Amino acid sequence: MTTQWGIKYAVHIISTHFGDLAARVCECLLRRGPLSKHNIVRFAETPLKQVHVCLLLLIQQNIVQAYIVEDTGGMDDVVKQTTQYMVLFDNIIHRTRFPKFMTVVAQELDKGCTELFQSLLQHGRLTVEKMIQIQESSYGEESVRENLAKLVHAHFVERCPAVEPLLVPPSEEELAAKKRSRSAKVAAEPDIMERVIDAAAPMESKRFLIIRDDITIDSEMADDGSANVGEKRKRSFLASNSELGIKEEVLWRANYEEFLHRFKHNACVEDVRQRVDDSAAIALSAMLESSRRMESKVKSRTSVPVPINAIYEEVMKDEAGRSMTLDDLREYLEHLKCDRGANDSYSIDLKSILELAQNEEVESIVLKRYGEDSHRIFRLLSKADHLLETSKISKMVFVDQKETPNILYKLWKDKYLHMEKVTVVGSQQCEFLLWKVNKSALWKNILDDMYHASLNVSLRVVHEMEQGSELLSLPPEKREGPLLVKLERLRNIKRVLEESLRKLDDSMMLFHDF
Amino acid sequence: MVSDDCKFFHLFKQEMSKRKRPDSTAPAHGLTEHEKTIYDLIKSKQDMGIFSQDIKRETKLLPNIVTKSLKSLLAKNMIKEVQNVQHKARKHYMASDFEPSAEITGGSWYHEGALDKTFIDLVRKTCLSYISSLKIATVEMIYDAIKRSKLFHVECSQEQIAEILRTLELDNQIVEFRSTGCGEFAAIPIRRVCYKIAKKPGPGKEPKVSPMASIPCGICPRISYCSPDGPCTSPLMRSTRAL
Repeated sequence: MTTQWGIKYAVHIISTHFGDLAARVCECLLRRGPLSKHNIVRFAETPLKQVHVCLLLLIQQNIVQAYIVEDTGGMDDVVKQTTQYMVLFDNIIHRTRFPKFMTVVAQELDKGCTELFQSLLQHGRLTVEKMIQIQESSYGEESVRENLAKLVHAHFVERCPAVEPLLVPPSEEELAAKKRSRSAKVAAEPDIMERVIDAAAPMESKRFLIIRDDITIDSEMADDGSANVGEKRKRSFLASNSELGIKEEVLWRANYEEFLHRFKHNACVEDVRQRVDDSAAIALSAMLESSRRMESKVKSRTSVPVPINAIYEEVMKDEAGRSMTLDDLREYLEHLKCDRGANDSYSIDLKSILELAQNEEVESIVLKRYGEDSHRIFRLLSKADHLLETSKISKMVFVDQKETPNILYKLWKDKYLHMEKVTVVGSQQCEFLLWKVNKSALWKNILDDMYHASLNVSLRVVHEMEQGSELLSLPPEKREGPLLVKLERLRNIKRVLEESLRKLDDSMMLFHDF
Repeated sequence: MVSDDCKFFHLFKQEMSKRKRPDSTAPAHGLTEHEKTIYDLIKSKQDMGIFSQDIKRETKLLPNIVTKSLKSLLAKNMIKEVQNVQHKARKHYMASDFEPSAEITGGSWYHEGALDKTFIDLVRKTCLSYISSLKIATVEMIYDAIKRSKLFHVECSQEQIAEILRTLELDNQIVEFRSTGCGEFAAIPIRRVCYKIAKKPGPGKEPKVSPMASIPCGICPRISYCSPDGPCTSPLMRSTRAL
């Protein structure tokens, strides 16, 4: 479920990048969930033609995913198929991370790859022919193909999902399992999104496969067997029935998942560097680097087990790690509480490292916002992870018994704490207040506040640039004296605000994407 | 200003005094019927004492009679007024035979109804300096060091030292570990809880602050009232306009 300020922030991003019309369509889908084209027209109060164009644009930019559902309701035996459109909230937020993605690509690959990647980010998705056409002034066809191959090999680029996959209704066993589940209602919404994404995603074997000749694609698919015959049949069905008239062809786009993997690992390594030391960070970095390709999902709890020799080889690649012996490495991995498995392989619980980082983040906010006593109380409750009574809290943290209830009430009012009242009936009726930190609810509120803060800072950037538009449009020869000072000030403001946004985005990934 | 010696003496008195047993054979001389009723009620509450309002409620006597009786009992030194740390403004009475319990006084860290922050800070600094000199220390090691040094007139128990260490850990000044029995933990039994000084940022580096906490909106107390459509009245937002 997307938070309120998450929706507002996403709508602002779309409005800034693509205009108000696209933002209106997006907002309609974000607030109401997947809709058919006609329902979008109705709820967004926008003419059909404009909705059509917006949907094409948003699909091109990987923000909306279409899918077909079969409706077997009513008395008719005829199965009706409708195309629904679903917005991908995460992909909207990823748009603010494009500079970070570019930095990663620029660090690992050459200029040609970086420029090709930039084109992909700009256009959303491209065929190989289109890439060659866009880059023809700087690079020949062979160079473009080579650069694409490098990007795909590094997993920075992937094949696009199917344009309008058919969403097969869940089987009876799946429905029964859902009913049994306690949180069936909550699970239903992300479940649809996951099912659509799974249905649309290309087969893992084809996701990073570049085939040179288009004719070869069909013959290769025919050779693969019945599963791919089904895939081919599905593709030809889709190509002729895409509601928006989108042709089914091999398209390439940026693979956001690969970047999230890297950012997650970097976050874990930096956390270990802060908490332990540089050598432990090198050991962890080497372990994660050698296991990254084998990881399937970004949100996996533990890293994939890797033999110590493979980790050691990776450590040796780092100049700072060359003085480390195998025994040193073992000691550091044990200090980091890595699990030792069969064949002398090691894996680590990444979730626990990230939880520590999340706790630190929230505690830092509490300290700055409410002061030292509140920070101590919050940390006590966060570590205790169970209900504690007011006077007991007061004794444990050495805060005056009169002040403690005020602090607890302030934290509770701002939704940092959960409170329960217990009434004990004896000779006299006594009421006790019990407190705890409900992390799952609090983390959602923190994330919502982060979206809110990001929106505020983004609006401020837009406002400052609008205010200084005249200055920015001045020719260079007129930029002198007081005008130059004002221009420098404006640039400084933009730099500080954008740096704040960049750092805030790192925190948002910590709470949402990792 | 109360000197440290006076405070230590007070704590010494608190810690070392034994609760006097009530003398059940002493007769209540020269007491009126009302005074006896009230005295018996107060005595029955032992070291917890009782509020004057509760005396009025439980004895069902008229307020002026209760007030008069309490004055008389105070004058005869049969009862005393004590400060309840939870309700400092209310009058709390106890039989003279008893010493107030920790629930009334607030415990050994309280002095005259208020948290003795000076003493607590002193004990915290002492614990930090011992951990710093020992590099890695258990509660027992710090307790022994403080006991041998005889730095305080009052003896802090091991439990009290543990309470202080917990607050230092909550303030991120020390870090808790479980000994592995090897390396730097070689001197400490395996799985025993021990403490190290928390890692400080390197020279020239500032302590890490969360990105959210380093921008005005992140710590703004009025963020829930703030919206793009409405005017922002927060002084913090106004200060960013001075960028």
